[in-house]
Amino acid sequence: MTRRTWLGLARHAPLLVWTAITLAPIYWMVMTSFKHSGEWVTWPPRWVPHEPTLINYVKVLTPGTSTFELGRQTLKILKPLWDSLFIATTASLVAVVLGSALAYSWTRFGTGGRRYPYNILSIRMVPPIVIAVPFVVYYVTLRLLDTYTGLILVYLATSLPYVIWMMLAFIEEVPVELEHAARVMGASRFRVLGRIVLPLTAAGLVVTFLFVFILNWSELLLAMTLTNTEVSTIPITLNKFQSANEGRDYGPQAAIGTIATLPVIVLGFLIQKHLVRGFSFGLLRK
Amino acid sequence: MAGVRLEGLTKLFASTRAVDAIDLAVPDGEFVVLVGPSGCGKTTTLNMIAGLETPTAGDIFIGDARVTDWEPRDRNLGMVFQSLALFPHLSVFDNIAFPLRIKKVPEAEVRARVQAVAATTRIAPLLAKRPATLSGGEAQRVALARTIIVKPAVFLMDEPLSSLDAKLRVEMRTELKRLHAQLSATFIYVTHDQAEAMTMADRIVVMHQGKIQQVGPPLQIYGDPTNRFVAGFFGVPAMNFLDGEVVVEGSDLRFRAVGLRPRLAVPRTATRGPATLGVRPEHVRLGDGPDASPATVSLIEPMGDETLVFLDYGGPVSLVAKVDAEDTVTVGDRRPFTLRADRLTFFDETGGRLR
Repeated sequence: MTRRTWLGLARHAPLLVWTAITLAPIYWMVMTSFKHSGEWVTWPPRWVPHEPTLINYVKVLTPGTSTFELGRQTLKILKPLWDSLFIATTASLVAVVLGSALAYSWTRFGTGGRRYPYNILSIRMVPPIVIAVPFVVYYVTLRLLDTYTGLILVYLATSLPYVIWMMLAFIEEVPVELEHAARVMGASRFRVLGRIVLPLTAAGLVVTFLFVFILNWSELLLAMTLTNTEVSTIPITLNKFQSANEGRDYGPQAAIGTIATLPVIVLGFLIQKHLVRGFSFGLLRK
Repeated sequence: MAGVRLEGLTKLFASTRAVDAIDLAVPDGEFVVLVGPSGCGKTTTLNMIAGLETPTAGDIFIGDARVTDWEPRDRNLGMVFQSLALFPHLSVFDNIAFPLRIKKVPEAEVRARVQAVAATTRIAPLLAKRPATLSGGEAQRVALARTIIVKPAVFLMDEPLSSLDAKLRVEMRTELKRLHAQLSATFIYVTHDQAEAMTMADRIVVMHQGKIQQVGPPLQIYGDPTNRFVAGFFGVPAMNFLDGEVVVEGSDLRFRAVGLRPRLAVPRTATRGPATLGVRPEHVRLGDGPDASPATVSLIEPMGDETLVFLDYGGPVSLVAKVDAEDTVTVGDRRPFTLRADRLTFFDETGGRLR
C-alpha cells in the first residue's frame, strides 16, 4: 500500500474507533430487540442474534394496555408512540412557524429591541425542574394537566428560543437587498416572504424543525411531571422499565428503544444534505 | 416617463440627520448623479425615492403624483443595486421574468418580452443559467435586463458598477449612457466615484453630511465650485489649497500666503481675514517670470501622458502641478512657478466660495 493510503488510514482510524465506541450501545440495543429472552444476557455476548425474532416487537406493538404475564410487565407502546409523535410534531411545527416569524421580525425591523435574542435565550437557561412544579399548579387551575395541549404549550415555549436563534442565522444569510429588489419590482411583503425568503431559508427551516423535534421527542422531565394517565410519551414509557417488578425485560425494552430512535434516524437521513450547512448556525459567512 | 421632485426631504436616524431638507427637481429624461463621500446621505435619499425608507419629513413626487406614502411596487420604478440582488435560487430567465409574473402577465407574453430584452442586453445565451455561474459583467446586464423589462418611468441605480473591475467599469459606463439615450427615461444614479459622476451625468448633485452642496452640469461643478468641499472632491489629483489671509494694501485687498511671492487680487466679496486659495494642478505653470514664486521639486509621479510634480515652495504642504510628459523634470530641480490668474478660486474661513 502506498504511503498515502497509510496516512489516510491513520487519519481515519481514530475516527472509526470513536464511531464504533459511540455507536456500540445503539447497535447492542437494536440487536437485543431482535433476540428472544434466552439470548439477552449470554456470555460471551452474541453480537448478532443466532435466532432472530420479532417477538419483542409483537409484544410491544400490539394494541392494549400493559400486560402482566409470568411476573413480568410488558408495556405496550402504540399509544405512547402516537402521543409522542403527535405532541413533538405539533409543538415543533408551531414553534418553527412562530419562531421564524419572530426571527424575521427582529432581523428586518428590530422588533423587540437589540437584546431580544439574548433575552429569549436567557429564558431557556432556566432548568426545567425549576418550572416543573409551578407549571403543575398552573395547569391544575387551567385544567391542562395530563392533556395534549398542556404538553404542547410547554414544549412550544421551550423550543422557541432555539428556533429563534437558529432562524436568525439563516435569515441573515438572505441579503436584504433581494427583498428590496423584489419590493421595487412589484412584490408585496407577503409575496417577498413566500417567493424570496422562504425558498432561500427552506433548508434552515427543515434543520431547525428537526433539531427542535429531537429535543421535544426525547424530553422526559416535563412530560413526566405534567402527565398522568391520559397522555404518555415514549420517554415516559421507557423510563417505566426502571421500576419493573422483577428482572429486566430487555428485549421489549430494546424494541421500544429502537422504535423511539427510529423517527429521528429516518428524518436525519432524509435531510442529511442540509445538516452540515444547518449546524454551522450561520457561522460560515460568505 | 416622468420627472422626479424632492421637497424638503428629510430622514433622521435616532438623532442623526442622514438627509437634511433636500430640495431637488429632476426633469423627465435627465441623467442625474448623486455623488458624495460615504455617509453623505445619497443612498438614503435614493431609498426614499424608491420607497424602501420612509422619510421623516418632506415629499417625493414622481411625475405629478405625490408618492411619499406609496409602497415601492406602486411607484413604477426600476432599481439596480450595488450587489445586483439577483435571486440566486432562480434561473436568469426567471429572474428577468419575475416582475412580469408578479403582475400576472400571461406566460406567452412573458416569454416573448424576456427574449426581446435578452437580445437587447446581449444575454440570450445565459437564460438557463443560475446567477452564481455568471461573470461580473454578465450579472450586471442581467440586473439591467430585469429593470428594463417593466419599462419604468424612472431608473434608480445605487453604485451599480462598484463591484466590477476597472476595465469592465468603463465599458459598462458607456453601455449605461447608451441605454439612457435609447430609453430616454429619467436616471437617478448614486456613486461615490467622482470620475463616474463627471463622465455620466447631465447634472451632478454633490452631497455632504445630508445636505446638497451644489447642483449643476459636470463642467460647472468642476470649474465653478460653490464651496471648498465641492472643489476638493472633484479632480484627480485634488485641488491645491493654500491657507493665507486677505490684507489691506493701499486701497485694495490682496491675498497673501506663505511661500507665494505675488500678492493676489481677490474677488469682490472678500473681506479682511483668513482665506484659502484653491488652484488646480493643471493651472500651476512651471516657469520663471516677474510673478513667479521659487520652489524645489520634491517628488515626481509620471502618469504617462502627463507628470505630477510636487513642489516645495515654503508652504506647509507641497503644491502639486500637472505638466506635460515631454517636460523633463527631476527631483531637486529649482523650478519657480506661476498660477493662472483666471483660474484661481478663493474660499473664506467657513469654506464658502468668494466671488
